[in-house]
This record gives sequence, structure tokens and C-alpha cells, in this order.
Amino acid sequence: MSSHREAPEIAKDPVADSTDVYAFVSPDNPGTVTLIANYIPLQGPAGGPNFYAFGDDVLYEIHVDNDADGRADITYQFRFATRLTDPDTFLYNTGPILTLDSPNWNSRQLYTVTRVQHERARPEVLATGLACPPCNIGPLSTPDYPSLAQSAVHDIGGGITVFAGQRAEGFYVDLGAIFDLGDLRPFEQLHAQYGMNVFSAAAPGVNATAALNVHSIAIQVPISQLAPHGHGHVTDPGAVIGVWTSASRQRVRLWDADRGEDVWAGPFHQVSRLGNPLVNEVLIPLGRKDLWNTLPPSDDKRFAARYAHPELAGLLPALYPGVFPNLAALVAAGTARADLEAILLTGIPSGIVPGFQNYTGPVLADMLRLNTAIPPSAKPNQLGLIGGDPAGFPNGRRVFDDVVTVELRAIAGVTVPLVDPSFTPDAAAGAVTDGLTASSVPAGYLTQFPYLGVPYSGFDTPS
Amino acid sequence: MPIPVPVPDKPSRVSRRSVLRGAAGAGAVGIAAVSGAGAVMAATRPAAAAPTAPEASTAPEASTAPEASTASTASTAPGAPAALANDGPLVVYLRDAATGEMEVFAGAGQARFRDPALAARLLSRARTDVR
Repeated sequence: MSSHREAPEIAKDPVADSTDVYAFVSPDNPGTVTLIANYIPLQGPAGGPNFYAFGDDVLYEIHVDNDADGRADITYQFRFATRLTDPDTFLYNTGPILTLDSPNWNSRQLYTVTRVQHERARPEVLATGLACPPCNIGPLSTPDYPSLAQSAVHDIGGGITVFAGQRAEGFYVDLGAIFDLGDLRPFEQLHAQYGMNVFSAAAPGVNATAALNVHSIAIQVPISQLAPHGHGHVTDPGAVIGVWTSASRQRVRLWDADRGEDVWAGPFHQVSRLGNPLVNEVLIPLGRKDLWNTLPPSDDKRFAARYAHPELAGLLPALYPGVFPNLAALVAAGTARADLEAILLTGIPSGIVPGFQNYTGPVLADMLRLNTAIPPSAKPNQLGLIGGDPAGFPNGRRVFDDVVTVELRAIAGVTVPLVDPSFTPDAAAGAVTDGLTASSVPAGYLTQFPYLGVPYSGFDTPS
Repeated sequence: MPIPVPVPDKPSRVSRRSVLRGAAGAGAVGIAAVSGAGAVMAATRPAAAAPTAPEASTAPEASTAPEASTASTASTAPGAPAALANDGPLVVYLRDAATGEMEVFAGAGQARFRDPALAARLLSRARTDVR
């Protein structure tokens, strides 16, 4: 998964588990950037009566670095508070929920958005008492869910729009195959199969998230607020921002047996982090994943070797014998993957890809890097930059970008020529995929904020 | 072995303000811990206000520092003196009984200090009262 249950500790704490983060110039409002952070992975839509909700005890944040040091210059903080209308019923709702202030809705969440500009002393509360939508339950409880959820899109002034609530999972991946020892169904007949010969022919990918929901925090902000040093030119270093999300919990958690609930005390410490998709998932080893989650991007030089020598690059030739000979030679030579370091840790400098750069300098920091001067594509390619579309990943990340295929191909060697023109990628490197596309997401995507699709309802998606 | 000691332990629905009031007369563990913590926190916190939590009268305390929000090593948050005036749990973690090194967690702040006398009192109460 992009970052779903990717580390041992955070897998125990889904409400604080960041799953995906997106950053892109808004296609329908190109003077703004949309930032989305997803949490609470793998939600079965029928998960009542206590349907999914953000953690009241979690500090959710979306960070923006606009001076290339891997540290946040602007942070948007989101804090949630749950309200029970009637604590004497077991029901999430006691009738149809037609509006966000419906008396039939028993368990609702409100939230506060705070902006921290780190050069200033005081955080600024941008809005408070904002309503989340309910979860999508079914035709009796939430009969017009799209309209109900859209009413939870809040204009909070200053050109900023926010939304926080349940969405359809937009990240698509063949989880079941990939974690079955690196099987990629479209190529599984080429897998070594440990001598078992289970697969004799290629098969289409299966989207493991096709009927699952997540919780999204989305904020749309004028570019001028996020990249104040930019001048609208692609080559302008000030046009590039770094983006990541984090979740933090207070240090002390104590079960108050008299009250039957946790109590928390102490300062917030980061327990989850996400910038580029699949990094902690795939590049960081099991024994370091929890540590990675606690650190800021500015500390990522500690993990540089994991980017330069990804374990998966060595596994692909082993799992698919004879399919990746050039990659195998590259790995055997111990060549550091400067292409991956550039894509994931520094951004791509000018002069590598004609007309493109998202370089933030030599500081190694795992962030989505978005060149805000690159306009949205009229004809987006879900493979982003390697598909000839500079408005997509790894220039930020759009909700429909096929980051699994992009990163598989990059690790397989398709991006090595960016830094070593003498290297010839294996033919398979340009074709490897888990067999899914954006059309593998049944809910699809929205053309307007918050862009992720309407969540699957419990009634229609019971299991 | 260090032992985490929640202060106060009863009644459960107690505020720091009431702890301070109650402890003032009794010379209880709470007031000693808070006094020490306050001194350390006042010396270490940057001057910044806490963000407001949703419906602050009932929401969990939300004060966080820029540092606290982005780095794992941050130990204190802005606005914690104000947080100390709010209701909420206060927890003392006795890290090393021999030296009296302890941490106090209150609101969104923490402090680490040594207080052998307080440590001795906590241990004494633990030996006699903890079952």
C-alpha cells in the first residue's frame, strides 16, 4: 500500500496512520494548490455502528517547505472533536441524515484548522466548529450522500477551502499479489514461483482497495500563500514546494479505568509521516520503519542508503529470472541510484528533463515536490512525468496518478538514464506494472474539490 | 525499575487546578511536582500561543509548538503555562528512583527534573498503597 499499515507501531493505530498524501495545482482552480492527507486505512464501508472517525486525540498536520531545507515553513493543523447528540442510544443515527445539522445524526465531528507559519510566534486559527460529513451508510441513513458531503466543503476565507471526512480510496494497488512474494499478475508466468509453477499465464491485476474507504483532510490554498518566493516560472526555484503530512500523539497515554477511557498528557510527538508514496512501505526496512515515522524530512539523510540501494531493485531480477539482466548488473555493481535520490530526496534539477524541474537543493528530504508554476495538464497521463505529463507524479501527486507503476518502473531502472545516459533499461522496466489503472477505482474521482470520489456506502458494499 | 505514577490517582475526575488547591494544604505529591515542572517549563518554552481546539471547553488540549508538530525531539509546547491552568490529567513518570529523576506531563507540556525528596515520597506511597 502507499503507506497503509506500513510500519509495525502505526499498524496498531489506524486513526493516526497516514495512508496517502497528494499535492497538485488544482485543475479547476489553477491559482491554487490542493493538499490532501488520507488517514484510517482499509475501511470496510459497513463498519457500524461505530463508523469511522478522525481521532480526537490526534494532531493531524500538512506541512509545506518553501525554502528547500526539508523543514516546515507553513503547517496546517487539524484537530477534531466528537459530539454525541444522544449518549443513550447505540445508534449512529436515529433517522435519515439530510443535513449536517440533522438532529438524527448522533455522532458527529467538528474540527479546527490552524495555520502555523514557523517564522511567526503565534499559530493562527483559521476556522473552528467546521462540520465533517457523516460516513456513507446507505440509502435510508444518507440518501443523498454526494450533496450532503459536498455541503461539508467549507470556504474559510483568504481563498482557502477545506474538507475533512470519508472518501472512497483513490489509491489502487494489487496488494494481494504484490505481498505474495512480489507477484505481479500481468507477469506472473515469469515469476520464479519458488519452483511451484503455480502460474502459467499472465492475469489482470486486482485492485485490493476497490471497495474500501479512507478519511481525507483536504485543503485548497492560493499558490501565493504557499510559494511566496515564486514568480510563476517553471525554472524558478521559488516555485517548488515540499509537502508531507504527519500525525502526532501526546507522549503519555493512561487508561483511566474509572472513566473507561484513555487520558493523554504531555507534548505531541510524531507517530506517522508520509511524503512520497511507498517509501516507508518499500524502501525502509522493518527494523527502521517506526523510527522513520517519528522523524522530520530534514533527517532523511540517515536513510539515504535505502534510497540509493533499494532492496526491491535486487529482488526483481531474483524473482523474475532473466527478465531484468541490466538491472541485475547495476545492482551487482553496487551502483548508487542517483535517479531515485533525485526523484525522492532532492527533486529533479533543471537540465535533466527538458522544461521541467522540481529541485529543492542538496538537502535530502522525503517530500512530495510540486513545481507550482507547471499548470494542470489538459490531457493528464496517470504515469505522470515518465508518461510525458509534467503535472503529475513525481511533480507533486494527483489523486489518480499510478504511483505503483511509476515507482516499480523507476526502481526497475527506467529512470537511470536520467543520470547515466550510458545505461540501457531492460525492456521489462518500461512495462512492469501491477496491472491497474485509475479506472480500477469503481468510485472514480471528482472533477472538483475534494477530488477523491464519493465513499462506498455500507449498504451497497456490505463486505 | 522506574514506575509511572499518575498524580493524583483519586478522584479520577480531578483537575490540575483542584490538585493545586488541595495539595496546598496537604503538602501532597501533586504540588511538589507541579512547582518543579512549572519552573522548568517556564524556562524552556518559546513564547507562542496555543491554537484553539474545537469547542475548547470540552475538547482535548490542543496547544502545540511548531517544533513539537514537526520533530520528534521537541519536549515542550508553546502556551503550556496556560495549559497548566486548564483542566486535564497530570502525570509524573519517575524515571530513576535512585536519583529522583522524573518527568511531569501536563497539558501539552512536559518537564524533566530531579527531586529526590518527591521521589522518596512517591516510592513510599507506592510501597504502602499500591496493590
